[in-house]
Amino acid sequence: MIEFDNVSCTFVKGAGIVDASFNIDKGEFVCVIGPTGAGKTTLLRLIYMDVIPEKGRVIVDKFDSSRIKRRQIPLLRRKVGMVFQEFNLLSDRNVFENVALPLRVIGVPKKEIKDRVNRVLNELEISHRWNHLPSELSGGEQQIVSLARAVVKDPLVILADEPTGNLDPVASYKILTLLEIINENGTAILFATHSYNLVKDRGHRFMDVIDCKVRI
Amino acid sequence: MIDKFLYLISEGFRSLWRAKLAGFATVTAIGISTSFIGFGAFIGQDISDLLQLARSQYRLEVFFSPLITDSEANQSVQKIAQIPGVRKSTLVTKQEAAEIFEEEFGENIFELLDENPLPSSCIVKLTTNGNEPLDVRPIIRKIEKIEHVDEVRHQGKLVSTIEKYYQGFFIIMTGVAIVVLFGTVILISNTIRLSIYARRDLIDILKLVGATNQFIRFPFVIEGIVEGVFGAILASAFIYGFVRATNYFLNLFTHYNIHWDFQIVAIMICVIMTFSALGSHRAVRRFLT
Repeated sequence: MIEFDNVSCTFVKGAGIVDASFNIDKGEFVCVIGPTGAGKTTLLRLIYMDVIPEKGRVIVDKFDSSRIKRRQIPLLRRKVGMVFQEFNLLSDRNVFENVALPLRVIGVPKKEIKDRVNRVLNELEISHRWNHLPSELSGGEQQIVSLARAVVKDPLVILADEPTGNLDPVASYKILTLLEIINENGTAILFATHSYNLVKDRGHRFMDVIDCKVRI
Repeated sequence: MIDKFLYLISEGFRSLWRAKLAGFATVTAIGISTSFIGFGAFIGQDISDLLQLARSQYRLEVFFSPLITDSEANQSVQKIAQIPGVRKSTLVTKQEAAEIFEEEFGENIFELLDENPLPSSCIVKLTTNGNEPLDVRPIIRKIEKIEHVDEVRHQGKLVSTIEKYYQGFFIIMTGVAIVVLFGTVILISNTIRLSIYARRDLIDILKLVGATNQFIRFPFVIEGIVEGVFGAILASAFIYGFVRATNYFLNLFTHYNIHWDFQIVAIMICVIMTFSALGSHRAVRRFLT
């Protein structure tokens, strides 16, 4: 489903990814481990094609970075859910509206939006906060809302870039557990973190990123 | 699809409400500047109507030599009728001239002078073509060359003077309209740019969740259009007040009224709406590319 074929993408300041080749299959849970600045974020950005490789190619589902047109990138992103360390929620909209946003972009009918958002909020046990603004939620709750927004569009893969970076250990484990539940339903997860202790002994596949190199 | 469209419209209004102070300033500025175009359009329309009336009623009086017969005068009238630009030429015989004299002065010319010294003449009406200025000089020159024509009387100078001033007014108002419309584009563009900077978080998130550029652009374009329409409506209110006040003062001295024309208001709103859309589209396009 995701294929990196000899991919290099570097930046002036030296960070990036060099000669990365690997595959991720449907429904896999992959932990991307590495210190800050090693290239984890670049790896994820390559998947949602925020950056295009200078060498090699990235294939996500039917989208190939070497052939993709700018106007096709939004179509790719509709199949990829994203969760970041910063929760990236809209501060002037309540939980329901934040989660509904990707469905509005796709043009899902109003009634279906209501059903799907409520279902996801229930599954992630945050439905009681549907009418609250992000500023009224804890960090852990905000990240759950962010996760709900990623999962509501039924993506092929969720890219989680240090999603527990701003959370305490209890909230971090909750987020990880929720991601594992989502994964059980068939969605692939790429979980990037610098905290090995958080993900060890969870039985997932590991991918190390050190000094711009990916080691499987 | 309809849900998506309604959502985007509501996002436009939401964005406008969020930046209401900047929006209010923009609407007021557009309202004031556009009202100048509106005043000009109303005054220009009235002058144009007056000119058309003057043109349609404009006529030349051609006097023939006193010695010619009615038959010779009739031949000259036929020649005048063939000149391009002449709509109608009507002969006034010596006898008819005497009757007009009696009608106007109450005296019989034969009883006064024992003879009729009034020459036969011809009333010439001209073809008018809508808003095109009336130039009678070539027609007069051709009439003067016709045999037996003694004198051509006309008020051409007055009409020409009004035409000249009207053309000057039209050029100035066109210049003002161009400046105001250009200003509208810049004003809307800057307001929308401020709105975009204030909503960068929204744009970034929309890009991440797969929104197309059109989806991101649409609410900002709606915001610009709504500001433009509100500005044009405010201008219409100013113009209405101006027309009422002007008519009040005109009625103290004359029976003349400036006419309130909804068509001009509708055109003004449509034009401002179009230029507002251009301004906001310009701002968003710059940001998204």
